Amino acid sequence: MRSTSAAGAWRAAPERGSPLLLRLMIGVARRLGRGATRALLPPIVLYFLACSRRARAASRAWLTRALGRPATLVDLYRHFDTFAVTLLDRVYFLAGRWDCFDVRLHGDGPLRAIVARGAGCVLLGSHLGSFEALRAAAVFSAHWPLAMLMDNANAQKAARAFAAVNPALAGMIIEAGAPDSLIRAKARLDAGALLGILGDRARPGDRTVPCPFLGATMPFPEAPYVIAGVLGAPVVLCCALYRGGRRYDLHFEVFRDPLVLPRGERATMLPALAREYAARLEHYARSAPYNWFNFYDVWSDSR
Amino acid sequence: MTLHTPFEAEIARLIVESVNLETPAGEIDPTAPLYGEGLGLDSIDMLEISLAIGKQYGVALRADDEANRQIFASLRNLAQHVERHREK
Repeated sequence: MRSTSAAGAWRAAPERGSPLLLRLMIGVARRLGRGATRALLPPIVLYFLACSRRARAASRAWLTRALGRPATLVDLYRHFDTFAVTLLDRVYFLAGRWDCFDVRLHGDGPLRAIVARGAGCVLLGSHLGSFEALRAAAVFSAHWPLAMLMDNANAQKAARAFAAVNPALAGMIIEAGAPDSLIRAKARLDAGALLGILGDRARPGDRTVPCPFLGATMPFPEAPYVIAGVLGAPVVLCCALYRGGRRYDLHFEVFRDPLVLPRGERATMLPALAREYAARLEHYARSAPYNWFNFYDVWSDSR
Repeated sequence: MTLHTPFEAEIARLIVESVNLETPAGEIDPTAPLYGEGLGLDSIDMLEISLAIGKQYGVALRADDEANRQIFASLRNLAQHVERHREK
């Protein structure tokens, strides 16, 4: 199955946050510090909550499933507020301001062992939690070699943020969707890098597997498992959940080490792998429902 | 009607085998793009083709090679590149 409408609509969703706004936010955040800037957020969160009908609908649809009960306005506010805080925190993470946070790592031992043997691995992320916190942990704290495979729009957004705060990070982006994207990714893996890939979003034209997710069906991409399988690389799941205050919980979980995917068994193994990942993501989503940072109704096209 | 040089035909067979393509090797247009529109291969397919070419001919397609777009632009370009650089 090749996805078209779902991913297409997601990418067509208007992007909130222009480069100017981004620069303004970064300037304020750096000058005032995290505590004071955090205090400025409630009116901004209310503004977006009031004015962004589509994001509100997506938030409501998500929370109602993730919480297992109808979402209230208070829930929606909390969801938008969590997103705003993690967005603000990106500035400090990007700048390597580790001192702003209380970051706790869970399950990083096996990942450190993989890095230590120089194997490289696929780091399977998602829209749950803050990818910036993970990136900061990898780069500034653990000093892991990190590369990230991102689609064009996200790569450009990330490049803008890097350019504004920490240009040294730009080299880690590999743009997906070029003929040689994965040849580049393979070279980084061969050199022992951790290759970050989103496990919950397919690019238009990517092959997907419909997976049970929070009581409905959502298409999950096959690509992460094919890439790891073709290269015989380990796959490690990860998410960085914001727990309020200064605290982030980073979870790492070895999914396969290595991922063995014989060509003849792909047709049966890929759906099983994607479903297993969806189940793990569901587990973390239920534990941190307000950490879902994809304000697009992921189910609207698959019902 | 599609005309292949003998080596293009060989690379076409390698492509069909390495990505389980439904298009018969003999019907691959030697001048049409391999990636995206054209033959419809995606970046996973391109990775598999590059691995197969490395194994078969000892030609490593380099990650930093700005010429990659050109090389993957068609069966003809790819075959020419491999023929020029092959070690096996």
